[in-house]
Amino acid sequence: MEPDVRLGLYRMMVLIRTYEETILREYHADKKPVFDIGAGLIPGEMHLSAGQEPVAAGVCAHLTADDAVTATHRPHHFAIAHGVDLDRMTAEIFGRVDGLGRGRGGHMHLFDPATHFSCSGIIAEGYPPAVGQALAFQRRGTDRVAVAVTGEGAANQGAFHEALNLAALWKLPVVFVVEDNDWGISVPRSASTCVTSNAERAAGYGIPGERVEDNSVEAVHEVAAAAVARARAGEGPSLIEVHTLRLWGHFEGDAQGYRSDLEGVPGRDPLPTYEKRLRADGVLDDTAANSIAAQAHDRVQAAVEFAKRSPEPDPATALDHVFAQA
Amino acid sequence: MTDVAFPRVSENDPDAEGVLATWFAGDGDRVGEGDLIAEVAVDKVDVEVPAPAAGVLRLLVQEGEVVKQGEPIARIE
Amino acid sequence: MTLTDASASSATPTTRKLTTAKAMVEAIAQEMERDDDVFVLGEDVGAYGGIFSSTTGLLDRFGPKRVIDTPISETAFIGAAVGAAVEGLRPIVELMFVDFFGVCMDQIYNHMAKIHFESGGNVKVPLVLTTAVGGGYSDGAQHSQCLWGTFAHLPGMKVVVPSNPADAKGLMTAAVRDDNPVVYLFHKGVMGLPWMAKNRRSVGPVPEGEHVVPIGKANVVRPGSDVTVVTLSLSVHHALDVAEELAPQGVDCEVVDLRSLVPLDTDTILESVGRTGRLLVVDEDYLSFGLSGEIIARVAERDPGLLRAPAARVAVPDVPIPYARPLEYAVLPTPDRIRRAVLDLVGA
Repeated sequence: MEPDVRLGLYRMMVLIRTYEETILREYHADKKPVFDIGAGLIPGEMHLSAGQEPVAAGVCAHLTADDAVTATHRPHHFAIAHGVDLDRMTAEIFGRVDGLGRGRGGHMHLFDPATHFSCSGIIAEGYPPAVGQALAFQRRGTDRVAVAVTGEGAANQGAFHEALNLAALWKLPVVFVVEDNDWGISVPRSASTCVTSNAERAAGYGIPGERVEDNSVEAVHEVAAAAVARARAGEGPSLIEVHTLRLWGHFEGDAQGYRSDLEGVPGRDPLPTYEKRLRADGVLDDTAANSIAAQAHDRVQAAVEFAKRSPEPDPATALDHVFAQA
Repeated sequence: MTDVAFPRVSENDPDAEGVLATWFAGDGDRVGEGDLIAEVAVDKVDVEVPAPAAGVLRLLVQEGEVVKQGEPIARIE
Repeated sequence: MTLTDASASSATPTTRKLTTAKAMVEAIAQEMERDDDVFVLGEDVGAYGGIFSSTTGLLDRFGPKRVIDTPISETAFIGAAVGAAVEGLRPIVELMFVDFFGVCMDQIYNHMAKIHFESGGNVKVPLVLTTAVGGGYSDGAQHSQCLWGTFAHLPGMKVVVPSNPADAKGLMTAAVRDDNPVVYLFHKGVMGLPWMAKNRRSVGPVPEGEHVVPIGKANVVRPGSDVTVVTLSLSVHHALDVAEELAPQGVDCEVVDLRSLVPLDTDTILESVGRTGRLLVVDEDYLSFGLSGEIIARVAERDPGLLRAPAARVAVPDVPIPYARPLEYAVLPTPDRIRRAVLDLVGA
C-alpha cells in the first residue's frame, strides 16, 4: 500500500480517536460526583467508537460525499471518516442550534444531507433505508454506493435479513458492514449468534461475504475496495464483517462488570498497533506523528468551541420542523 | 343502436356465467365511445366494459345480476 | 381498455363516475405521468394490481421499474422507500393491510415520521404509505382493523382517510405532492370492489384531469341543524344513509367527513358543533384512547358549553373484531347503531 494512503488511514484514525477522547472528557466533566445521565452539557446516552476506527477509516477511504453512509447508535467514527462537518456534528451532540439537526436529533440521530450521512438508534433498522438510498442511486443510473453499518448483534434482527435479501434480489449497490466488537451491550456474540461469522450468512443471500479478523485498517481497506468496486460496477451488494474492538463500555456509564475480556483490551488497541507498524516500516516518524496529533487536537478543539459558542435552542421552537412547509 | 354484451372473460368455458358488478352510468345517461360504463366479474376476474359507441345508454340488467357471457347487458341508442 | 389509459375520450361527460379504487389509481397514474420520480412498490402491486385494486393497470402502463412487486419484507421495503425518499424519489409504498403494521412499525414511526424532525428540517421524506383498512366481510381480528388513531397519535406523519371516489383521487394527488410522509388509509368497503358488498356511494363522480383535495380540510358533506355527526371513511356512507332516512322524520343531521386526521380540521368541527350543540362521533377504530376521544376532547377544551347534550360516540368497542358475522356486526358502527345514537342525542 502506498505510504500516503497508509498515512491517510492513520491520520483519520487519530482524528477519530482524538474526537472520541474529547467527547468522553466533555461528557463526563459535568456528571460528577455521581453519574447522572441527564446532566451536563452533553446529556443522554453516549456511545463512543474508540477501538473501531479501522472499520470507518478503511471503508470510507473508498467513498466520496456522493455516496451514502447509514450508521448506528455508535456513529461518530463513520461520520468523521465520511466527511461530515465536524463543527455542526459537535454542535448537534451538544444539542445546540447550529447542530446538524438544530439540536433535535442528538448524538444518535446525525443527519447530513451534504454527505448523505444518516444514523439510526434502532438496532438494524438503518439497513433498510440504506437499501432505499441504493435503490435511488441505481434508478438514477449512477455508480454511487450506499454503505450500511450495524453491529454483530443486529445481524439477528429481522431488518438485517430482509435488507440483505432485498438488496441481493434487486442487485443494489450496497456495502453491508458488520462491526463485530464481540459484545451486544453485555451479551457476547457466542450467546447471541448461531454462526461464528456473519460473513457466512452472506452465502445465504447469494452475495460475497468477507471477515476481517484482526481489526487491521489495511485489511479493511482492501476488502472494502473490492466490495465498493463491485457495487459501483452494478454487480450488487456484499457483506463485510470486521472483528473489531469496543475499547470502552457500550455506553458511557457502563461499568462493564460483565466483560470477561477486559484485561486483554488495551493490548488490542488498534491505534498504537498501527502506529508501531508504520514506524517500523519507516512511514511514520516522531515529527509526522506529532504533527498529525497536533492537527487532530486543534481540529477537534475548534469543533468543541464552535459547539459551545452555539446557543441552546429556544423552547418556543420545540414544535418546529415536525413537517416540511410547502 | 348498438348492443353492449357481457364480455367473454372465460375462454375455456363459453357458457360461463358472471356478475354485473357495477354500473358506472345510469339508464338514460349520455355516454361517449370508450367511456367506462360497467365492471363485470367472472370467477374473480374483473373486467371493465367500455361503451362501444356514443349515445344514450339503456340498462338491461341490474347490479348483482348473474349474466351469461355474450348476453346483452345494455343498449346504446 | 381501462381508465388508466390517457383520458383522451372526446365526448367525456362531466358526471363521469368511478369507483374509489379506480379514482385512487387514476390519481397515481396522473402523478406518475407528471413526475418520473414517483414510483410504486409493495406486495402484489404489479401484475395483480393490488389485492384491493389500488394499483390496477399501472404495471402495464408504466412497466416493472416503476411498479415494483416486493418480497414479503415490510421492514425492508418500507424502509427502502424511506431511504429512496430521503434521496429525492417520491415512492408510493403499500402496506397491504394496516393490521400488518406490527412487523414494520419501526420504519414507519421511528424513521419515516422522525427523520425530518431529527435532522432539524434538513432532510425531507416525501413518501406516501397506502394501506387497506376496515371490516365487515368476516376477515377476522387480524385483517379488519382501522387503526388510523394509532398513526394519528404518533407525531411526524400526515394521515388522510378518503371516503369517496373524488376525495380518493384528490387526497392521493395531494399526498404525492406533499413533501412530508403521508399515510393514506383506504377502507376496503369504499373501494367499490366487484367481490365485496358495496355501498352505492363507492361509485361517484370524479373530476377528470388534475384534482387536488387539500390535506387538513374536513368536508361538510351534508349540512344540517340538529346534530353534528363527525365521521370518516365508510362510516360517512352509513351516516349519510341514516341522515337521509331521518330527515323526513324531522331530524336534520349535519355530516362532517374528516378526510384528514393529521392535520385535523378542528375549526370545522367546532363551527358545526357550535351551531347544532349536539355531537356524535362515528369511528370504526377502537373506542378507547383514540380518535373519537380526541374529537370530543377538542370540543371540551374549547368550550364544553357548546354542547346541549353530552357528546356521544359510536365506535368499535375494545374487543378484537370477531369473525362470525352476527358478532362482527354487533361491534361495527352500523347504520342501526348510528341511528339509535342520533335519536338518543336529539332526545327522541
